[in-house]
This record gives sequence, C-alpha cells and structure tokens, in this order.
Amino acid sequence: MSDGKTDLTLDHFTLEDTRVTRRYFDKFEKITGYLGKVAAVMEVEGRYQRHEISAIARTLVALNLTFRTLGYKYHFSGRAAHAGKLTFDRIESGFPVYAELLEAANDAQQADRHLANMPTVEALKDQMVRVIVGDQEIPTKLQYALSQRLYYEELAKGGLFWSRNDPDIQWRGDRDGRRQYFLHWAVYDSQINLPTIYLMELEDTGKVGLPKDERRWPEVMAHLMAQSVGGLKLLTIAKGFDEDFDDLHPKRLRRIHIGPMYSHAFTQQTGPLREVLEKAKSPVGEDWALVWTEEDLRSDRVEEVKSGWFGKVEREIYAIDPFAGRGADTGATALARSIIMPERPFQSLAELKPDGFDDVRKFVVSPTGRVLSYK
Amino acid sequence: MADFETQIRESQTQVANAQAKISELTSRIEAARAKMASGTDVTIEIENATLEDVHAQTDAMNANIAELIMGLDDVTAGFQQDFDEMRSKTGMEKLIGIFSKGKAESMRQERMRTASIDDKLQDLISKSNVIQKLLEGQLAVLDEQKIKVESNLSETLTERETTVGALEKTRADVLDLDPKIIDLENKIAVEQDAAARTALESELAELNARYNELVQQEQVQLAKSQTLERYIEKGKTWLDSLQNQSATQMVLINKLMTDTRQRVVLYDALTKSLKTAQQQDVAHRINEIGVQTDKEAQQAMAAIGAATNSRMADMLEAHEDHMVFARKVLEEKAKADERFMRRFQKIVEKHDKNAYGQP
Repeated sequence: MSDGKTDLTLDHFTLEDTRVTRRYFDKFEKITGYLGKVAAVMEVEGRYQRHEISAIARTLVALNLTFRTLGYKYHFSGRAAHAGKLTFDRIESGFPVYAELLEAANDAQQADRHLANMPTVEALKDQMVRVIVGDQEIPTKLQYALSQRLYYEELAKGGLFWSRNDPDIQWRGDRDGRRQYFLHWAVYDSQINLPTIYLMELEDTGKVGLPKDERRWPEVMAHLMAQSVGGLKLLTIAKGFDEDFDDLHPKRLRRIHIGPMYSHAFTQQTGPLREVLEKAKSPVGEDWALVWTEEDLRSDRVEEVKSGWFGKVEREIYAIDPFAGRGADTGATALARSIIMPERPFQSLAELKPDGFDDVRKFVVSPTGRVLSYK
Repeated sequence: MADFETQIRESQTQVANAQAKISELTSRIEAARAKMASGTDVTIEIENATLEDVHAQTDAMNANIAELIMGLDDVTAGFQQDFDEMRSKTGMEKLIGIFSKGKAESMRQERMRTASIDDKLQDLISKSNVIQKLLEGQLAVLDEQKIKVESNLSETLTERETTVGALEKTRADVLDLDPKIIDLENKIAVEQDAAARTALESELAELNARYNELVQQEQVQLAKSQTLERYIEKGKTWLDSLQNQSATQMVLINKLMTDTRQRVVLYDALTKSLKTAQQQDVAHRINEIGVQTDKEAQQAMAAIGAATNSRMADMLEAHEDHMVFARKVLEEKAKADERFMRRFQKIVEKHDKNAYGQP
C-alpha cells in the first residue's frame, strides 16, 4: 500500500495564485486535447477496437469538459475576494482532488437555480463596458461574476466526467446462442485522485437480455460502481462479479488509469522522471508527462461448479501474468504502460535513457497535432 | 437536537434577520449623514443607531451556525455505523454461521462487495456546502457594509477637518475684532464732536453686530464639529464590530472547510481499505486453487476470512495511527479548531454537555 493512501490530505496542495491556477488549467486543456489523438493512434495500432475507442474517446471528452468547467470556476481564484481555490494532489497524481468533483456535482444540482438568479453573459459584458468606460476601472467583480456564470452554464450543459460515471452497455451480437455485451464505465478514483476507465466484455446466459432486465441490470450497475476501487486488483473485481451473478460471465476486464500527470512546475515526483523533466527545461505548456496505464484480465477457461443441491454454474478461471511472481502481484493478465509527453521532455528522456523505460511505450505529441509512437 | 434541515432553515432565517439588522444600521448611519449634510440636527438619529440590537442578533446567528457545524458531527456519526457493519456480521449471517461458517463468510463477502459510501460522502459535501453558502453570504454582506461605512467615514472625517478649520478661523476672527472694538470704544469716550461721535457709534454698532454674528457662527460650528465627532465615534465602533463579525465568519468557514475535506478523505480511505483488505486475499487464493470443489473453496474462504479479519484489524490500527499522526493534517485541524474554540467556547461546552436550552 503506497503512502498516498494513508497520508490523507498531506499531499493535497492548494493553488493560491491566479496566474498559476490559469496555467494549471491551460496545461490540462492541452493534455486532454492530445489524449483524443493518442487514443486514435492506439486504434490504428490495433490495441483497441472501434467501439472501445469510441467509449474511451467519449470519456476523454467528458474529462476535458470537466477541466474546462473547473477552469471557469477557479478563473479568478486569488484575484476576486471570495473566489474559491483549487486543491490538487501533487504526489503521484497531479489531478484535482476527489472532493473537487463532489463539490462540482453538488453545484450542478443547483445550477439552474443559480443561473436563474444571475445576469446573462451579455448583461455582464455590458456592465463591464460601463465600468471600464465610466469609472475607468478593471471590473474584477463583474469578471468574477461572469466566470461563475460560465461555470454554472457548463454544469447545466452536462456531459461532464463525474466522480462516478455509471455503466453503459452495448450489445455485440450473439455467439453460440449467448448474448455478448460490452460494458464501459468510469470513476474518479478517490484514493489516488485519478480518472479510471473500465471496459468489460460479458457473456449473458440469463432469460432476459441484461439491459432490459429490470432486476439484474440495476444490481449489476450498483455492484460494478461499488467495486470500482483502484486498490482492488482486476482479478478481485472480476471474481467477485462472477460469483455474485450466476448467469453473467465476465470474459475480459480492462482498466485504464489516466495519469499521473507529472510536471516540474506543479507536482513533486521522485525517480527518473523528475530528472528528465528538470533537464528538459521545457517552456510553459510543454513541461509535463502523462502516464497511461492499461491493465488487462482475460478469462483462461471455464469450470462447472455445483450451486446448491441440483444446480450448476460456470465459473471463470482467469489467466494471470506468468511473470507476475517476479515483482508485485498485478492480479491481471497483462499490464501495459505508456507515457505521453511533448517533444522537449522526450528529447531529454532519450538522452538520459533512465532505467525502467524500455518497455514503456512513448507517445510524443506536438502542437501541430502530430503524434509519434516509440517503443 | 433538532434535525439538520430544520436547523438549516432556522439558521437561514436568523442570517436574514441579522443581515436586515446590519443593513438597517448602516442605512441609519447613512441617513444621519445625509441629514447632517442638509444642516438638520441629527443627534437623535445618531443616538438611535444602537449596536446592541445587531449584536444580539448576530450572536444568536453565529451560535446557531456553530451548532450547525457541530451538528455535522452527528450527521457523520452515521458513517461509523457503516464501518461497523462492514467489520461485523449481520444477525442473519451469524445465524447461518452456526450451520455453515463458509456460507456466512461468503454472504459477508457479497455484502462487502456492494457496500459504498459515495452517496453519503456526496450528502456530507452538499450539507456542508449549504452551511458554507450561508456563511459566505453573510461574509459578503458584512464586507459590503464595511466598504460603505468606510467610505462614509472617510468623507465625514474630511468634513470634520474642514469644520474644525472653519471653527478656528472664526475664533481667530473674533480675537481680531476684540482690539478693534476696544479701540473704537476708547475713541468714542474721548470724542467731543457730536457728528463724529455718531459716525463712530454706528461703526461700533456694526462691529458689534459682526462680533455677535461671529460668536454665533462659532457656536454653530462647534455644535457641528461635536456632532460629527459623535458620528465618527459611532461609525468607528460600527466598523470595528463589522470587522470582528467578518473575522468570526471566516473562522467558521475555515473550520467547516477543513473539517469537511478531511472527513471526505478519511471516510473514503477507511471504507476502501476495509474493502480491499477483505477481498483481495480471498479472490486470489481461490483463483489459484481453481474451483475444484465447492467444499474445498468454502473451507479456504472461511480460513482466509478468519486470517484476513485479524490482519485487517492490524492494518486498521496502523491505518488509524497513520491518520491520527499525519502531522500537517493535525496541525491544520488544530489551528482551525483552536480559532473555533476561542470564539465558540460556550456553545461547545453546551454541545458537549448536551445542555441546550439551559441558561
């Protein structure tokens, strides 16, 4: 168990300065913008199928929207008197803390009421012009009011990445008379403060199709959401699911961790990446590296198990990484790490050649929109 | 103790009342200022603008909000129940445990897998958010009033300066007139010619009239300066009180925010580590064994369940140690708590003794 889990708010860091807060959100806007392109490259390489990538891409867009929304919320922190301040996790995450998303969700519930009581964007801009021309002052208060108006507007539009994003299910055809489903859902992991996407392939032998089954489907959703904890290994999650639902057979479960985001200016990191980012001396906006980790668990075989006195149920036995014994037990069939970074940090990484980066796939992004992939 | 919703509503009314009182006082002070500008006597208005009303009102409000913040403790006590449930077996599980240990254990595992406190966390955030909005609204009103009173006061200060200047000039003028009048009186005393004497006497009358006018002016200016002084005194007291109140609000907001944030992290960490510890071992061992027979698996599960329980207890202890001694957390909390205690000693005492409603 890492320290991040037991130290509680020790890693949490509040951004006090307006300029720094804006820089932080600018950085994330860029990063989440690149993520979509990286995902496209992964599809071309055949790591994901079309329906999988579209699920991932949708989640990434939602994540982007969430960051934009938070950006509006904190656009004037440190400048306007009562503006809030962003708290983020600066060790092994670099993302805003879980509570920020809960607060945003809470604000979203009341967004309509707030919007009804606020002057419109046009009215605020009009007032600003009056203050600028009439009083020859910077209309900070109005600017703050406008940022809050935009914040609530974004919340009201919806489609954001929340702390929990309930499962979505797609029918993928029948095989041997069994319905095949593809499920995907996402959570903002509260322990490590990182967004996590789950993808599951499922066989259904129930009488009624799962999405139409009013009994099982809500149970499945509740079960999956309650088990989406970063601390649980995929094997644990899949095993528990298999046992609790006799006629559902999870064949493959994947989990994608987006992050941590490392940045020399914002986060504290140990290990080789620290040196890489420091040596790179990147300009503002290119000083970052984002880790993208994918865990994959596949079913190896099926065994029949007695259930009760007469019944029999199938139980999955999962394939576990044959090399798992050498290091930490991953509880997965395979583990793939990628790192996404701009050109400058990559250059510095290539020069320094630190240990442990050989089997990490590197995606190098540039402002022109090109994504290069290196082994 | 009244339930949270009722208490929130009560606090909202009290905040509204306090805000009304505060604005009323400021506007009364401002009205006096306006009247003064038009030259009316405003002594009564100033005397009427008493702070006691406002103070009583805001004290009641702050007490209520402080209680509300501590009331959140009672709300969060609900979490404890969840934790206990996760650690222990339900009645049904105990009953089944008499016949089959393995079955009881697997039932508990299943319950554990679906346990989630996310909704409760969201509820906690939303409740503390309601209180925070209340406090921030109050703080905004206080700041707004403070700015009004400040600008008003600085205007008055300049006005008083000019009034005092004018007063001094009048006094100097009066002093200047004195020798002239004496001189003239002496001249009249020695003057023999009737015509010249009449001329001198009318000059004296003129001077006397001017003298009287100046003396009267002095009185008026003196009175004005005194009124202004009293007004300034009142304004300053009001400003002090506003500042003090806004400090109180900030302490409350600070305490609330630190508490909530830490609670979210703490409860979340505790639930998830309970879940993780409980499940991980079991799932892995069983996958290794495969599911050869039902019996074997269940035996293994029962055995592992027992082992995990003791390990979990150890881990919880270590976890709690860690949590309690996380240095910075403690420091920050202590700071917020101390500030809170300093201001709300009495309420805290009452809360601890559970002695509401007693004098």
